[in-house]
Amino acid sequence: MLASLLDFTPAEMAALLLSLKVAFWCTVAICVPGVAVAWLLARKSFVGKSLLNSLVHLPLVLPPVVPGFLLLILLGNQGLIGKWLHQAFGITLAFTWVGAVVASAVMAFPLMVRAVRLAISQVDSGLEAAAQSLGANPLRVFFTVTLPLAVPGILTGLMLAFSRSLGEFGATITFVGNIAGETRTLPLAIFTYTQIPGGDAPAMRLVILSLLLAFGALMLSETLERRAARLLAGNGGHDRY
Amino acid sequence: MIDIDLHLHRGSFALDAKLRINQPVVGLFGPSGSGKSTLLGTLAGLIKPDGGRFAVDGDCLFDAAQGIDLPAHQRRIGLVFQDSRLFPHLSVRSNLVYGLDLLRKQQRRLDLANIVELLEIGHMLKQHPHQLSGGERQRVALGRALLASPRLLLLDEPLAALDTRLKNQILPFLRRVKEHTQIPMIYVSHAINEVLHLTQTMAIIEGGSILAHGDFHEVIKDDRVLSLAHSLGMDNVINAAVSEHNSEFGYTLAEHNGHQLLLPYFDVPLGAAISISIPATNIALARTRQVGITIQNQLPGVITAIRQVDHRVLVSVNIGCLVIAEVTAKAVHDLGLAPGQQVYCLIKAQAMRYLGASAN
Repeated sequence: MLASLLDFTPAEMAALLLSLKVAFWCTVAICVPGVAVAWLLARKSFVGKSLLNSLVHLPLVLPPVVPGFLLLILLGNQGLIGKWLHQAFGITLAFTWVGAVVASAVMAFPLMVRAVRLAISQVDSGLEAAAQSLGANPLRVFFTVTLPLAVPGILTGLMLAFSRSLGEFGATITFVGNIAGETRTLPLAIFTYTQIPGGDAPAMRLVILSLLLAFGALMLSETLERRAARLLAGNGGHDRY
Repeated sequence: MIDIDLHLHRGSFALDAKLRINQPVVGLFGPSGSGKSTLLGTLAGLIKPDGGRFAVDGDCLFDAAQGIDLPAHQRRIGLVFQDSRLFPHLSVRSNLVYGLDLLRKQQRRLDLANIVELLEIGHMLKQHPHQLSGGERQRVALGRALLASPRLLLLDEPLAALDTRLKNQILPFLRRVKEHTQIPMIYVSHAINEVLHLTQTMAIIEGGSILAHGDFHEVIKDDRVLSLAHSLGMDNVINAAVSEHNSEFGYTLAEHNGHQLLLPYFDVPLGAAISISIPATNIALARTRQVGITIQNQLPGVITAIRQVDHRVLVSVNIGCLVIAEVTAKAVHDLGLAPGQQVYCLIKAQAMRYLGASAN
């Protein structure tokens, strides 16, 4: 039973590998900007902060086809930015796997930012003040104090982003379509199987596979967070200046 | 030479601090909410004042008129906080060298080995802060701040979170730091005896302003300062040298200005210089030497001042150094006490608290 479950057809295998590839690059792509935006929102006050906050969080509350459609308009081959990207650099995003990465990055970004912002705001700013008084400039304070102490939250954010990307459907299918081997990730493959006669069995196999992947990702993030938290244990104190 | 003239408004609170310091260690003394921490924050560059000027040894760190505002990380002003603020993710050793590593070779005035020896923290270098006791953490925090070779060290109630026993363990280290490093210090506290253990020089702050600054016994001539000091618990600190131990009768003798003080027995080497704290309320006065009394210490002296604070009276007596005894107005009246009179200060051995060795 289990053996037949894991006996994938080449098409299923392609969907699995593509999903992992897209999720991996999505996570890599949002790592740095996610931490940067989270830090801005957690530690800085500036004009337009609530606008930035709303923009970042929009994909969470919109139907995913809306960001997908907007991406198509902006980054499609005839789109404002897409046309320029194509002409200047020969980069095509629409209907390619890189476009799928962009779509899931947009959708996963708010999750990453939320997790990291929470983690950074919980780092005792008194420790940052102490580091400054010892001669560390703001950049060094960030990399030697803030960032290491926010690592558990960053891991959570990355894992959430990875899982979100594995499950991305609406924005992906709207922006890059459902092309086997190019943009047909696991959810798209499941959807495709449910649309054809006799597709229930392969759909079921991919559903179970998705469950296992999501579960594994969550377990892994739990373990990493616990380990990171143990390393950072012993932080107390309160903020004054 | 530290030149402070800073002001700042935050809601109903106003800081207006003018202070010029020439002494190596100054105790900044004031009640909660008087602006002590705010002042330290502005000195360190962590809080931006509205205006004024601040210079250390001629180097201007802040001058609103000239638009100078050196960022905190370029000021080289060390801070030791009440809550130690050690970096939890770094080992004790990495914490200690955090600031040291950022200095150029020629800026380093102390090295790790000196500080480790001075503060006796060698055995914990590989540990992490959460494995240390509160007192050990403060020693490491002190070492970390010193190793950054600050031009000025600010200590913000570094002992406030510790119990009495731990305080007594740390005070001698502070004393050693003062004697060995020559780094100027501003020591914030609302415990008079802590400050007196380190220095006689005090600046008194209340409501954001410096009320007075100078020798403790001079500044408390100001009635506002006296009533403030009194409300926070008037305390005397006497430095003495251990001259004899008697384990049979459970006492230790210490010599101070030709007087012998009898203290409860405690274990320090003969000849050691110690500091003893005596609350003003624990000193009684008598016109003549008493006989048939359990009080072991009767120190002759001359009354230099009598001042009333609220319903109590504080009597300053010169016994070789100034001590302050708190008595009732009735007692002053009944005994006919007046400045210039010879009196005996009666102090129970048990009323004296050992504050730790004051020098090597």
